[in-house]
Amino acid sequence: MSALVLAQLHERRRSLLSWGLPIGLWSAFVVAIYPSVEDALGKAVASYPEALKQAFGIAELTSVEQYLNAEMLSLIVPLAVGYLAVRSVASGLSGAAESGRLDVLLSAPISRRRLVASGFSATAIELAAVLLASLLITMLGSLFAGAGLSFTRTLAGFANVWPLALLFAALGIVVTSRSLHTAAVTGSVAGILVAMYVADLVGRLDPSLDWVRYGSVFRYYGRAIEDGIDPFSFLGVTVVAIAVAGLGAVLFDRRDLAS
Amino acid sequence: MAVIETEGLSKLYGAHRGIEDVTVAVEAGEVFAFLGPNGAGKTTTIRTLLDLLHPSAGSARIFGLDSHRDSVAIRARLGNLPGDFGYGKRTSGREAIALLARLRGVASLGRAEELARRFRADLDRPLGELSRGNRQKVGLITALFHSPELLILDEPTSGLDPLMQEEFLALVREERERGCAVFLSSHELDEVERICDRVGIVRDGRLVAVERVADLLAKTVERRKVEVEFADPVELERVRAMPGVVAAEYAQPTLEGVFLTYYRGEREGEERGEG
Repeated sequence: MSALVLAQLHERRRSLLSWGLPIGLWSAFVVAIYPSVEDALGKAVASYPEALKQAFGIAELTSVEQYLNAEMLSLIVPLAVGYLAVRSVASGLSGAAESGRLDVLLSAPISRRRLVASGFSATAIELAAVLLASLLITMLGSLFAGAGLSFTRTLAGFANVWPLALLFAALGIVVTSRSLHTAAVTGSVAGILVAMYVADLVGRLDPSLDWVRYGSVFRYYGRAIEDGIDPFSFLGVTVVAIAVAGLGAVLFDRRDLAS
Repeated sequence: MAVIETEGLSKLYGAHRGIEDVTVAVEAGEVFAFLGPNGAGKTTTIRTLLDLLHPSAGSARIFGLDSHRDSVAIRARLGNLPGDFGYGKRTSGREAIALLARLRGVASLGRAEELARRFRADLDRPLGELSRGNRQKVGLITALFHSPELLILDEPTSGLDPLMQEEFLALVREERERGCAVFLSSHELDEVERICDRVGIVRDGRLVAVERVADLLAKTVERRKVEVEFADPVELERVRAMPGVVAAEYAQPTLEGVFLTYYRGEREGEERGEG
């Protein structure tokens, strides 16, 4: 692994505590309370409007996996980890420009494209580590509460967030090629993240607007914890994320880095 | 072959001027200073040489290589101190230098340690806890630790105390003797006069003069002011009567002079093991 990737991972080691731990604890709590709310949930869900159930992917809540998906994996985890992805690439590039670190690193014999690639790779590893930590804490919660959560299905659910978050990291690189202000990069890509989620939601609520879902990566997200990972979507989104990051690297290479 | 060679180098920021038609050459073993007020275009020139900014027109060649196309190969052979050195608040100088050493393929940090002792730099504290001057010392070490063939330094003594400024000037002389070319920008005309072989004066983005320091002073100054320190009191009349002397007067000691005398004495004492 390159020195640049290792250095960035070292700087971001706190992510496990500040992101992996809270997401994991929240998910563990959701899983732990499932046995005590299981019966009440069934009755409540039955009374929900059909469109609402379809929109939020909660056709029925008869298993702890379905409950974890409805409470965490359909909204909170992808939005939170997607935001973390944007924040990470933004701090690695625009944040480095603001602190002066970019000037120092680019005094060394490394190309800008290599710098971007190392930032993207470090973010990919960081996201995987945060999701793994969340998964393990969730499984511990299930173990202590006796909720019977399936490891392989939960692994699929958390792993499925990775390519989606990676795409937002890649979009962060593209925006960095236009602005070196961390707040501007983070804010604009976080806006795209929310807009894509809303577009997907609207398309699911109103079938006549289904076409808007094609502009959202959430269309390809699915419910991996229930249905397993769709390899086509997983690989497709990953390849698109890498391609977008590559485009971002080319654009970043062409821009001026003013002091 | 010149180490740095620019030909009509220009950089425009939209409608705003950065630098215009800058043509200059810097030889190996030469200390060249870029002089000018804030906003004159000194930093723009440096950032264009380093490929951080892309020129609007003209070209820059370093070690005979194109500053944009071959920038990675060029940066392997140079050391750079940015105008406002920063890295990250939590990172220590030692961590930053260790990463740069890995990127440069430098196995030993011996030279960095030696420079840290010389500049009295604290490499173990996070950079965010250091004063501007102490951060600048770390920045100078990052520029120098790999013994580059070319040093590009933007306001190198900014924030340094007079003692460290003296140490820096001594170091630049040593680098020049080693054959290293030094391209620096500075506001400190006194230090430029003391160490630079040639200066380029930049005004409103244009290079208006490139001269040897001695020639520039000879052209513009007909009278020389010389400070002489005598061991014993002298009669001013006898000095005034010497051939070529126009005027002679006693000068009050300056604070800088007293400060440097005091610290030089203290350092010499330390070196003798008295401290």
